[in-house]
Amino acid sequence: MLVRTGIDRLDELLKGGIPAVTNTLLYAPPFIGKDTILKHFVLSGLEEGEPVIFVLTDKSFSETREEMKKMDKNFIDHENEGKVKYIDVYSKGVELQEEGQNVIFVDSPINRERITASIISTEREFAKKYKRHRLILDSLSTLIVYSDAKAVFRFLQVVSGTCKRLGATSIFSMTRGMHEEIEVQTIKHLMDGVIEMREEGSRMQIRVQGCGEVVSRNWIDYLLEKDEIKLTGAFRMSRVA
Amino acid sequence: MIETGIPKLDEYLGGGIPEGKSLLFSISPEAEESNIGIHVLHHNLEKGKTCVYIVSKSSPKQIEQSFREFGWDLKKYYEQLHIVDGYSRLIGAPSDEEFVIFEPHDILSYEDVMDEVLETLPENTVFVFDSLSTIMDLCGEREALQGIYRINEGIGRKGGVAIYNFTFWPYNESVMYRIKRGFDSIVEIKPITSEALRGQEYHVSKVGWGGEEGKRVMFKIYRPGGIKIYIPKIVVMGPFRSGKTTFIRALSERFTSVDRLGATIAIEHGTVDYGGYRADIFGIPGQERFSPLVEKMGLSASGIMIVVDSSKRDAMEEVIEMVNKIRNKNIPYVIVANKQDLPGAMSEYEIKEKVGDATVVKTVATEGKGVFDAFKTLAEKIIEKGGPNAG
Repeated sequence: MLVRTGIDRLDELLKGGIPAVTNTLLYAPPFIGKDTILKHFVLSGLEEGEPVIFVLTDKSFSETREEMKKMDKNFIDHENEGKVKYIDVYSKGVELQEEGQNVIFVDSPINRERITASIISTEREFAKKYKRHRLILDSLSTLIVYSDAKAVFRFLQVVSGTCKRLGATSIFSMTRGMHEEIEVQTIKHLMDGVIEMREEGSRMQIRVQGCGEVVSRNWIDYLLEKDEIKLTGAFRMSRVA
Repeated sequence: MIETGIPKLDEYLGGGIPEGKSLLFSISPEAEESNIGIHVLHHNLEKGKTCVYIVSKSSPKQIEQSFREFGWDLKKYYEQLHIVDGYSRLIGAPSDEEFVIFEPHDILSYEDVMDEVLETLPENTVFVFDSLSTIMDLCGEREALQGIYRINEGIGRKGGVAIYNFTFWPYNESVMYRIKRGFDSIVEIKPITSEALRGQEYHVSKVGWGGEEGKRVMFKIYRPGGIKIYIPKIVVMGPFRSGKTTFIRALSERFTSVDRLGATIAIEHGTVDYGGYRADIFGIPGQERFSPLVEKMGLSASGIMIVVDSSKRDAMEEVIEMVNKIRNKNIPYVIVANKQDLPGAMSEYEIKEKVGDATVVKTVATEGKGVFDAFKTLAEKIIEKGGPNAG
């Protein structure tokens, strides 16, 4: 069973999508389309009737909601149907006066206990009504910066397990360039697959590791246009590594 | 002794935590609530003790909100409560707290500040740390534990008590081993998530001064309210017109019933909150035609109360039949000898003689007399038996 990422040629590369109820690391430098992948993943889930949990460490839930609305005017309808929940680990820490129905606030990125409890209670709620749901955690980098990779690794051990048990297909984001290689390897170790992005000179490239059966595990060129990611590199002919 | 204030726990600890000792709440990362220490903190503030709250994983301001959620007023304790702020410097924020950890990544900074705290404050102070796991993650596991044990010695010398929240993330075994050895007592907290029940369980896994190890109790955390032992299903049954509805109403803070001409025609439901217990109570109507319900509801109950009209000797046959069924199923029960105010009411002894060995509690439900004794007696029996059935 595969779930679509919502980016057509990426789904082709993945032979249909990411295996359902797995954990994927999205590892990319800033500004080259990481957010775009996350947003498409969310929207494609909603389209297929899978509710979504946002775990946000770097922006408020209302900012996220605005961005999503810009991309898809139906987004707010999904939220009104109770299919979108936010765990906002940002607003209270920077003393934003935010309020909202579909949101749980966590006061600090160091309070991983609270984040875990919020994720579990939201997932349980979804699991009662829906067979599967999606979760994005954006980003692990912030959690790591505020304490350390080992502590976040232990947190992920717990969370990735619960996500699978409760039917979540999850993407965890991490910013390339912020971490030691050993930290990245540690986190990768807990994931079922990794989608990586990089900048090579003027080219932007994407690569898939793990994530079930794929057409190619090589770096593939892509273009970033507004809210779209277009894979331009050929991969049909290349051999599976 | 310093009490924890957590229902039944002080009993299992042999009265509480002796001065100079430490207690660790070892909390599953999947538990709903990771701050059990705050309940001990509140209990001791309420008792007039001097308390210190050491925060590492959230802003010291957060405590105000937590207290408000539980229905407690932090301002009342202004003079007794001292805060050690191990958080603000971590995120580069200023702090206006009395004591500040300037280098939260260095356990020595904690030790220095704790020395100062111990010099400033009176003996027998209660220290609550939120949390040990955060300090370990920030300062390094081994270094942190060594420092914490030195801090505990310092607290011990001044007759204080050290209480820690500790989230047992998947640390490696040698770390867990050190932790198990390093604290005088350990209470483990785990979530319970069966279909029928959602709550948490505490397990007294170590008592270094001779309490009762191994006890397990299921509880829930209420906002407002705090920690209560939760009993999901107490069933009240008894012959027709024995006073079941009045009894449940006298116990309950919330109550629904369906009456017709003074007789109850459907299952009624009440919620009881008393003596650290919270329970859902279901009353089964006493008419003949509901006897299948007695089987169905009664035999899946955590505990049963059989309400008897003490003035009606001829109804005792029905009571004896109920008691026999329950005994076979090994469900805790009490007999509520109601209507003790009526002339010719049977004594406790007379009822016992008729039904055989049983716990009998006398009540006058119309006046609320004895109803809470009956409830508490049953609640204790349920806990002694090892807690409510999960199914």
